[in-house]
Amino acid sequence: MKKGLIGLLIAAAVILGLFVWVKNTYNGLVTADEGVKAAWSQVENVYQRRADLIPNLVATVKGYASHESSTLEAVIEARAKATQVTVDPDKLTEESIAAFQSAQGELGNAIGRLLVSVEQYPDLKANQNFLELQAQLEGTENRITVERQKFNDTAKAYNTQVRSFPANIIASMFNFEQKGYFKAAEGAQIAPKVEF
Amino acid sequence: MKRHIFPPLLLLVLFFCIPASFACLAGVPERPEPQRLVNDLAGIFNSGQTFSLEQRLVAFDDSTSNQITVVTVSDLEGYEPAEMAVRIGLDWGVGSKDFNNGIVILVKPKTTSSSGAVSIQVGYGLEGAIPDSYCKRIIEQEMIPHFREEDYFGGVSAAVDVLMALASGEISEPRGNDEDDLAEALLALAFIMLVMIILVIALRGKGGGGGNRSSRDPDPYIFFGPISGRPGGSFGGFSGGGFSGGGFGGFGGGSFGGGGASGRW
Repeated sequence: MKKGLIGLLIAAAVILGLFVWVKNTYNGLVTADEGVKAAWSQVENVYQRRADLIPNLVATVKGYASHESSTLEAVIEARAKATQVTVDPDKLTEESIAAFQSAQGELGNAIGRLLVSVEQYPDLKANQNFLELQAQLEGTENRITVERQKFNDTAKAYNTQVRSFPANIIASMFNFEQKGYFKAAEGAQIAPKVEF
Repeated sequence: MKRHIFPPLLLLVLFFCIPASFACLAGVPERPEPQRLVNDLAGIFNSGQTFSLEQRLVAFDDSTSNQITVVTVSDLEGYEPAEMAVRIGLDWGVGSKDFNNGIVILVKPKTTSSSGAVSIQVGYGLEGAIPDSYCKRIIEQEMIPHFREEDYFGGVSAAVDVLMALASGEISEPRGNDEDDLAEALLALAFIMLVMIILVIALRGKGGGGGNRSSRDPDPYIFFGPISGRPGGSFGGFSGGGFSGGGFGGFGGGSFGGGGASGRW
């Protein structure tokens, strides 16, 4: 009689302990997952910010540099393509992030080419509106770098949590999948050296 | 024989390589101890300039809670100026956690072999008040003209003036404004009093049966609790954050998203 009661109590304690562990692990994973999604939405925000600057940039450059129509068209086209590639925040896989990154990278290259080609238009370079746009573009590129870095850090912390034992048991039970990362663009590791 | 020489040699090589690679990673200056707002690591200000700038920035932090930190470095360690400034802002936690109202001004003086670089990075909370184009203009019009004449203090000081005017228009929350804390402490006090009263009443009800103390004469200490000044009661309700009298109270854990501008000369 007494033995049975003790056994029952032990079983109850084990079940309770197991429940608390599963609950804490699961909730921890949910929190980390939401953190990654929040970091991703920040990434999308800053890319959107860049896309929003482009119509104004194109309009300003057009007024001064009509010979650059092909460069301008390339920018518009790249913008259209880049804004089409969106990523479902529930499926932040390696492939979807890579596709997003390459579309945005094309746009970045097109903007870069445009900014190089306008170097030969001194009137444009002195235009106050253009100078402001340039400052905003520069700040936006910097924001992109920062938010990408933050996303990678958050995703790394989440992936570590998902893969560590024993949380990985819970993670695989409830389908917590690993998240992809932003890769450093080729040649990006070598910082450009500007000499005057 | 060769076999015996090789492993120690390899170890020796490793011994020299590993610290070198770590040194490359640790390029961003660490948070100063004790914490201060002016960190002239490149040594371009004299002590009087550092002191007066620190005083101004601390006073500004005290009166508006906006934290502007000035950092000078002699080498960017391969970072872009904006990148290093953001890392300083994030690592040190410039600005308050609630407002993210920090600003980092990073200056790398020009040397014979390298160009000068400057960056102003603005915390999330001040991006609306200080847009990137303003930062760019401050750099181009206030800082670089001074820097070209090697007047580093003049340039930084002029930039700080403009930034202060812009930032205080957005967030102006004096430090040491602990009204909320006070209200919380009073509430806690009222709650404790209530519990005490209930306890006393309960004890009186119980003690009526067999206690030797008159139930009409409750112990005044129990009734009035710590207010009567007897030892034993202590409240931890006040968080003395802002009352640091003169010195800098410390960085508050603000975050940065890359807003701001940079320039070279």
